[in-house]
Amino acid sequence: MMYLTYIYPALVVMSVFLGGWQGYVFLTDASPLVLPAPGDVLNGLWVERSEIGRHAVATLIVAAVGFSLSVIFAFAVSLILHFSGWLRRGMMPLLVASQTVPIVALAPLMVLWFGFGLLPKVLLVILVTFFPMVISLMSGYASLPRPFRDQLVSMGASRWAVYRRATLPSARTHFFSGLRISATYAIVATIFAEYAGARQGLGIYILSAKNNFRADLVLSAVLVSACLTLALLAAILVIERATGRRYRRAAHA
Amino acid sequence: MLEVQSLTIRTGTDTLVKDLSLDLVEGRLTCLIGPSGCGKSSVVKWLAGVLAPELQVQGRACLYRKTAVLPHRDIAYQPQQDTLFPWLTISENACVGLEIRGMTRRAAHQCVRDLFPTFGLQGHEDSFPDQLSGGMRQRAAFLRTIVHEARVLLLDEPFSALDAVTRLRMQGWLTDRLAERPRAVLMVTHDLYEATQMADRVLVMAGGPGRIAADIPITTPRADRSEATLAEIRSTLKSMLLKETT
Repeated sequence: MMYLTYIYPALVVMSVFLGGWQGYVFLTDASPLVLPAPGDVLNGLWVERSEIGRHAVATLIVAAVGFSLSVIFAFAVSLILHFSGWLRRGMMPLLVASQTVPIVALAPLMVLWFGFGLLPKVLLVILVTFFPMVISLMSGYASLPRPFRDQLVSMGASRWAVYRRATLPSARTHFFSGLRISATYAIVATIFAEYAGARQGLGIYILSAKNNFRADLVLSAVLVSACLTLALLAAILVIERATGRRYRRAAHA
Repeated sequence: MLEVQSLTIRTGTDTLVKDLSLDLVEGRLTCLIGPSGCGKSSVVKWLAGVLAPELQVQGRACLYRKTAVLPHRDIAYQPQQDTLFPWLTISENACVGLEIRGMTRRAAHQCVRDLFPTFGLQGHEDSFPDQLSGGMRQRAAFLRTIVHEARVLLLDEPFSALDAVTRLRMQGWLTDRLAERPRAVLMVTHDLYEATQMADRVLVMAGGPGRIAADIPITTPRADRSEATLAEIRSTLKSMLLKETT
């Protein structure tokens, strides 16, 4: 019943949006080559389900590998930045600069450097998704109340022990916020990477559908990518809830 | 047992504490009182080894007549808040200090579980801090501070966050625990009633810069302290504090 309270407004908004779209296409008699109706998009998705499914799996694999490595990379970077003030001051400008590089410019270069395999796409996903996680981890580390740290230090805890016992658990909520933001970028970044050069994936499928003037199939693939992102977010929510019963107390304390 | 010799704490240009010396004796509870900002907490934090690193410190602490490197395993510290980690159970919280000192998790749990009845926490081993009352949380925090058998206890306004009734109960409870297992205790407080009820000795700090202005022993055993005697001591302390703040 509680879930309905959350889902109901989303269903209403979505229905209004789709109804408006369908109505606009009907009233203006828009060409399906330019703006297909939602019904056409769903029909295209059904007809092409096998092909879109195959490409979606390829995209999902790249996104999952890239995102997982991104989480590890973000943790490693946050650790380095946390324990070394010198490196924090030295690396921060570089990390911020890494987020200003347009992915459209970088993606073809990555393909040029690393070929059409998994590596360039995974690297692009890492580049796009690691930064929000690093920033949220750093904010989480900084949120450790000073008395908690003092208590552990007075007990003789090393910097690592303080990190493991208090700093890291304190950063959990922040980390999951960053993880959710990054997850919303992961699928999009993968599609961008595939767009620049790949043998399969939703990016390649979209490119091919666009070249064939099949706007309905382009939007079908977009719909699938949105569903993949929502599935990723749902998986994160499940992991957060399954592993964090005791940590939710920290948020309410 | 613990001596502080010629402690000076500076913040760049200002001197917080100047040439302060004090000694703590085993089995005696020493209260440190003084106006806000006179440096009481800084002294305690320095002894606990948690003073902000940007402060410049001169002076030394001697434990059993030997210079002590701070933080020291024989000196336990409890800050104003109970600082129980909300994501750990009471038992896990109580074990933290023991585990940091190298005890295995199983041995640490066994060690603290035996103490739960003494601290009035039996049956709450697996509770989380937010499931306990203020007084129980404070007792759990004391358990964590005391469990690793440190000989010196530093308590920075340990009862300030408690309501009046719980505070009275906790004061009595703490002095009983200290009677069972004598330690040298330095307790910072703003409460003159608390100081005169609990202390064997009251050190009055003056500000600008912080120094010990008076050392007042209370020789009457706690059980025999009459309200008239305590009122007289409180009156003396009050006039000293007023003099130091004007």
